[in-house]
Amino acid sequence: MDERTYSSGALSVICSNLTKACEKQMRPAEAEQFRTIGTYFATQATKSEAKAFADLNGLIAQDLEQGYPQVASAAEVAGDRGALRCMTWGKKVTSIHKSVLARYEKQGDALLAGNNLFVCEACGFIAIAPTVPELCPICKAPASRFVKI
Amino acid sequence: MHAARNVALCTKDCLCLFICPTGATDTETGQIDFTKCLDGCRLCVDACPSHALYLVFDRYPRKPAKEDKVVEALESLLDSKVAQEALAEALARSGSAGAKLAKALAMSNRILAEDCAREARYMLPQSEQSKALLRQLAGQPHTGDFPAEAVGKLLASL
Ligand code: SF4
Ligand code: SF4
Repeated sequence: MDERTYSSGALSVICSNLTKACEKQMRPAEAEQFRTIGTYFATQATKSEAKAFADLNGLIAQDLEQGYPQVASAAEVAGDRGALRCMTWGKKVTSIHKSVLARYEKQGDALLAGNNLFVCEACGFIAIAPTVPELCPICKAPASRFVKI
Repeated sequence: MHAARNVALCTKDCLCLFICPTGATDTETGQIDFTKCLDGCRLCVDACPSHALYLVFDRYPRKPAKEDKVVEALESLLDSKVAQEALAEALARSGSAGAKLAKALAMSNRILAEDCAREARYMLPQSEQSKALLRQLAGQPHTGDFPAEAVGKLLASL
């Protein structure tokens, strides 16, 4: 596959992903260097002017209807189970985004009253609950992998 | 290859302290002193009753490249998640009610995007693909605050 040019936003993501990989490999100096590069590209990235949660709906629908099915069919042909895993988790998490946004549109801040927000740092699952989930329902990561917002 | 400790699993004060020939397991931070750990020794890993010690490697295998179609599909999703993260960040900044929800969505989209980047091309920092990207970045024109030094250090050490 040829080299391609990425947007600054994508480069910031690639670098934050490699930061985490270096942390897992216990290479703190390299982690810090990737973090520095990622932070630079995050500041270069185009900022959005979004005003409403509804602005997300179009992209979410596009991912669910086209983006993930395209990964699924390419990965099946290639027998790429890593990509299939990414697709399976990502599609479920994206469906959660869709349903959370639908509920927030109906209930407003009442949805969050008495609840906390937790994000699974392994798969991105968002939990709206008083206490941290014992196990991520999507990827089965333990409670310790949840970050409280 | 040297040992590392999962501090959350460690039940403290036991066999790795006795078995380690160099004292690398006994530190004030709870982590192994990598400078003292002997390459390939692994005695503490086998001795630990709590499975709290494991090995981290200095070298990783070269992986087969992904199919072009898989990379294309994953990277187009990556772009979509990047756009959604930016949208959610704008909502979080606006200070509106629901800013917390926006923050959660931004973080979640970042994780989804990272997963696409990892599965497409950038799983290993040491891979040829990661290094090719770093070289590409080093060769591009940039604004003054581009961290060229960090890119150079990575190319030298990975
Ligand atoms: S691998 Fe060997 S040298 Fe390294 S910390 Fe464990 S016992 Fe000590
Ligand atoms: S042997 Fe295992 S449980 Fe005991 S102190 Fe060492 S790391 Fe902790």
